[in-house]
Amino acid sequence: MPPPKRIRAQTAPTRGLALMSRLTGRTVIESDVCIIGSGITAAMIAQKLARTTAKTIVVVEAGDEAAPLAQRATLRDRFLEYGESPWPHDHIDGYEIEGPLQSRSMGVGGLAMHWGGVTPRWSPEDFKTKSMCGVGTDWPISYEDLDPYYQAAEEVIGVAGEQGPVAMDPRSKPFPMAPIPLTYNLGLLKEWASTAGIAMWSQPSSKNSRPYDGRAECCRNDTCFPICPVGAKYSPDFTWNKLRASNRITLYPRTLVRRLVMDEGSARIGSADAMQRGPRGSGTPVEFRATSFVIAAGYVWSAHLLLLSRSRRAPDGLANRSGNVGKYLGGHRNQQAFIELPLRLYPGINGQHSLVTKQFMRKPVGDKYLRHDLRVWESSNARGPRLRNDAGALMLGDDIMRDWRERSRTGVARVRAYYDVIPDRESSLVLDGRRRNAYGDPLPKLAFRDAPESAALRGYSDDALKRLFERMARAGNGRVIHVEQDDGGFQDHPAGGCRMGSDPATSVVDGWGRAHDHENLFVVGAPTCVSASCANATLTFCALALRSAEEIATSS
Amino acid sequence: MTSLSRRAFLGWLAAAVPVAALVRRAHAAAIDDLAASPQAMQALGEAVLPSELGTSGMTAAVLAFQRWIAGYREHAELLHGYGTSKLESSGTTPATKWSAQLDQLDATAMKVGGRRFAELPVARRRELVSAELAAIKADRIPAVGRAPHVALALLAHFYATAEATDLCYESAIGKQTCRPLSASVRKPLPLAASRS
Repeated sequence: MPPPKRIRAQTAPTRGLALMSRLTGRTVIESDVCIIGSGITAAMIAQKLARTTAKTIVVVEAGDEAAPLAQRATLRDRFLEYGESPWPHDHIDGYEIEGPLQSRSMGVGGLAMHWGGVTPRWSPEDFKTKSMCGVGTDWPISYEDLDPYYQAAEEVIGVAGEQGPVAMDPRSKPFPMAPIPLTYNLGLLKEWASTAGIAMWSQPSSKNSRPYDGRAECCRNDTCFPICPVGAKYSPDFTWNKLRASNRITLYPRTLVRRLVMDEGSARIGSADAMQRGPRGSGTPVEFRATSFVIAAGYVWSAHLLLLSRSRRAPDGLANRSGNVGKYLGGHRNQQAFIELPLRLYPGINGQHSLVTKQFMRKPVGDKYLRHDLRVWESSNARGPRLRNDAGALMLGDDIMRDWRERSRTGVARVRAYYDVIPDRESSLVLDGRRRNAYGDPLPKLAFRDAPESAALRGYSDDALKRLFERMARAGNGRVIHVEQDDGGFQDHPAGGCRMGSDPATSVVDGWGRAHDHENLFVVGAPTCVSASCANATLTFCALALRSAEEIATSS
Repeated sequence: MTSLSRRAFLGWLAAAVPVAALVRRAHAAAIDDLAASPQAMQALGEAVLPSELGTSGMTAAVLAFQRWIAGYREHAELLHGYGTSKLESSGTTPATKWSAQLDQLDATAMKVGGRRFAELPVARRRELVSAELAAIKADRIPAVGRAPHVALALLAHFYATAEATDLCYESAIGKQTCRPLSASVRKPLPLAASRS
């Protein structure tokens, strides 16, 4: 057998990879840093290392390239007209798994290609629920530790935001951009919230309120999720395009890392065994060797890779001496209400933008544990055209429009609270022996479970939120039309699986994301979270990743 | 073989033997048929859409619906939702079914009124459509592609548009279109003022 072909990563040799592999039977790609995954946290790591170090950086992504910006208006049109995915082929076939997977998306840019761009910071309380409220587990880092990285993340992805009351919304520097303006509708709804004693402001968002970093200003065409056709919302492809154009990274798409391998005689990670995916389950083996490995593959695929990397020396998987890889998956539960108000609203002005408050993110002294965010949107719920009137009679022609017009004279607000759920250790990801991918690797199996203290409080939490919605409705002389709750199987903005901590016996990585068991292995972003707060999480994942990047920069 | 019978035959064959090539042929034949006889679609539009659209607005709505049908792609990957690993794709073309339903309206019109559907007064057309929708227990305006009847599909297509919303609110909201961000703070202009 010929010796392996070695490539020192500098520029993008993807096309030559298959040819070399065919000639030699094996390709080895060497770099200083190998980042596994190409989602938003991977982009944070790569851009920071590229900017602050001379390290060679390789990024390995299992999925395909994302559609370029130039195609997105057309893809959006198909989505609006036919419901077609604006990100076709953004997944790998054969990955139907058991349990509530957040999304099938797997591709260059990851889930943040189709995120909503909502970027609140978490609150100081989120990092010390045990010491402040007696529940859950404190993080090894504080909000104050993370503040500069929040700021850095906001500057990289471009966040337009409004400073909330400082006591609720501390930050050391202003937002990079002025807030997305409150629409006419949100202005009216803000006044209404105020009458209910709730201070609300413009939701910070990674959407440009002015041209920013070479990208356009938001034009409120209202498909931020699932696709922004003008590039006003940040997505990681913008970072990858820049880094690739400047030859600062080499990105290998369609290349699935199957396991990490420890060096003989040490606990350092020496290589990543991967498969460059071919058609119909075929593939070409590739080996990545690096000084440092960074797993930036989200809450599922990070823990999954560590578990897949089990070996004689690590029978339970890598970084898993604590037994906590795949454990403590967390997220938050949501409850929302649609409230009819005697306000003339005009749904469609900028429907994905909202008001937000952090007023309820600190548990009042003496109350049971309930922490939640609160957001308010304009809504067309119960204000759309309909076929039958209240009496059940069929309407056609002018009758439908007349009925719709009459009902739209009053407005509807959508009010939603995410509330904090303390994760149980058995809220977990395990390898599923019954389902395997095309290469024979077991797929993950997921199950979310509330810690006992959260399970005991679920009824209280749901009732308290209903009472809040009713109070808000009364304050505006309105009424709650209906309330919706999560069914409990899925928790939004999932995180965990490789939780951080100071004690190697109870955590997988330290406060910098470095694996306790392997000095040159880092896990970054969502999987490292100890808990999942009660607000959208992506900005926090980015901040954690940027903090990890600082440590990775010094790693050798 | 006439256009109608060729389309009907292909539709029947595609339903019985859903081979891709046959389904594509049936879809194309249905589109050809709809395009070749626009009077029936226009007549249906007059029966189910609001009269304030006027003739030109009605024609525009019907043409937009016909373009929608022509652009339909079977087995296209649909947006996958959160919380599940399941993927979904679009179903078989609704065009053949909808085209057949237009034929059925014509046949019923001939049977009960001795004239083609398009030749009946609007009120009478509306009665026929109402009877068909009652027969299938239609109770809501569905997503266009899932409409069990061509009349519902036309309604669904029109009412999903920015134009329909603007008409309802009598204001230039322009939902889902690109508009200046700064203008979002003001109340949308009344339609008459925005058109002047």
